Amino acid sequence: MTMLSVDQLNQVYVDTYTGEATVAIEDVSFDVPEGQFVSVIGPSGCGKTTVLNIVAGFVDATGGTVRLQGSPVSGPGPDRGVVFQDFALFPWKTVEANIAFGLKTQGVGKVERRAKAQEMIDLVGLTGFEKKYPHELSGGMRQRAGVARVLATEPAIMLMDEPFASVDAQTRRVLQQEVLRIWEQRRTTVLFVTHDVDEAVFMSDRVVVLSPRPSTVRADLSIQIPRPRSWTDMHTNTEFVRIRRELMTMLGVETGVETGSRSAP
Amino acid sequence: MTVVEKLRPRARAASTAWFVSPFAVLLAVWLIAIPAFDVSARTFPSAPAVWSAFVDLATDGDLTSHVLTSLGRVFAGAGIAVVVGVPFGLLMGMSAGLSAFFAPLLRFSVALAGIAWIPLATLWLGYGNNAVVFVVFNAVFFAIVYNSMLGVRQTSTSLLRAARSLGASRWRMFWEIYLPGALPNIVTGARVGLGFAWRGLIAAEIIATSTGLGYTLFLARQYYETDVIILMMILIGILWLIMDRLILAPLERRTVQRWSAERRERA
Ligand SMILES: Nc1ncnc2c1ncn2[C@@H]1O[C@H](COP(=O)(O)OP(=O)(O)OP(=O)(O)O)[C@@H](O)[C@H]1O
Ligand SMILES: [Mg+2]
Repeated sequence: MTMLSVDQLNQVYVDTYTGEATVAIEDVSFDVPEGQFVSVIGPSGCGKTTVLNIVAGFVDATGGTVRLQGSPVSGPGPDRGVVFQDFALFPWKTVEANIAFGLKTQGVGKVERRAKAQEMIDLVGLTGFEKKYPHELSGGMRQRAGVARVLATEPAIMLMDEPFASVDAQTRRVLQQEVLRIWEQRRTTVLFVTHDVDEAVFMSDRVVVLSPRPSTVRADLSIQIPRPRSWTDMHTNTEFVRIRRELMTMLGVETGVETGSRSAP
Repeated sequence: MTVVEKLRPRARAASTAWFVSPFAVLLAVWLIAIPAFDVSARTFPSAPAVWSAFVDLATDGDLTSHVLTSLGRVFAGAGIAVVVGVPFGLLMGMSAGLSAFFAPLLRFSVALAGIAWIPLATLWLGYGNNAVVFVVFNAVFFAIVYNSMLGVRQTSTSLLRAARSLGASRWRMFWEIYLPGALPNIVTGARVGLGFAWRGLIAAEIIATSTGLGYTLFLARQYYETDVIILMMILIGILWLIMDRLILAPLERRTVQRWSAERRERA
């Protein structure tokens, strides 16, 4: 079943000061089947964030439609959970209250809310940090809370815009594996935006490649690396290396140098 | 953890010492300069004279009632301003239409807030408590509204988006996102506003009543009681500091500082 369908999306930004129009997205269409992990990748400024914000309902598209389970979306809603690059945890709420917030808006009772939040906290590995405030957590832990907050309400799709860009390289690897571990348990449909080729290949079932601005879909690659995946053996995986090289070439990155300098973690 | 706990009382003592030291220096200069330059009591009172004015007023019972009257007026006026001004400011921050409509009025009123309303306040409400409370309210209101509005505007976009995408209604947004998000600015507004409150109070008490610290301050002028004048000024300053330390600072500690390490450093 198709969970999300993005059809002929077009986005023109008009500078309110100069009146100048920028075509951010020319024409982007793709589908995300239920339970699939799909990454959108492309050069900086090609409109990845714009696509995600339109799907999330934060931005109104100038053209095209976004459908979730067949019905057009308008405005943000709990059927699409968003994980933010800057975490966007409420600083005045504890980890537990942050994670339970979506349940509260749905009118879930206190006891049930507690239980569900605790389940999510355990799932993402934040046990013991329930009563902490976000500023008392490391970046990696904050993003675990961000993921837990979204999963708590069981949205139809989880949207992530470079969710690991604000944490250090080491933590990023760990989080990528963690999110995959969680995802493999739940199989929530995921739309994942990144500019990191390795990340996209490692995480996804499919990678949608956007061209430079004004963007169109340049390629749509299926990734057949068996799960569960782990970084330990990824760089010797022929499928990983092949798709990675293909994407690097497509995005105009010097593959030889990059591959040569890389060491497995 | 234990290291922090051990350091705390020492750090607090040090900060108190820093806070008190300029006043100690001022007091020393005062004690020395008045006799040294043989300043007449009509120009400026000596420190011992102010102290004995304090003892006199405190023992005959009048001082307590003046202090309580003035404090009551500040609390009433500022309290109403907070209760009305915070929601109004938040709503203005939340709604472009509301803020577009009220912003020009707010801006127009800034120079007029508080004291300029004394004549009308006395015409409407007569001489006495109500007129003073109204003037205090008026002096505080604009600072509270403006800062509450600013607080909403400064709440980060991704927090608002997160709340909306988690399904928060307008009502929930107001209580759980906009209000706490704006709290740092609201505290700033309350701080600025309370300063205005005392100034408004003094002016209003001079004109519109026959009790309170401001009234006593002004009355003393007729009898050339510079010791009473200075005493009242010192008392008002101290009361303001106490309010700041006992109400605003703990509020700030329990909320804004509890939620964020960065804000504490910035403040
Ligand atoms: N609110 C806006 N107003 C005007 N122009 C915008 C706005 N948001 C994005 N743009 C422009 O649209 C284009 C696409 O931006 P977008 O942020 O979607 O790209 P991106 O692919 O996410 O980039 P990055 O990889 O750097 O995150 C850019 O040229 C950007 O300058
Ligand atoms: Mg982006």
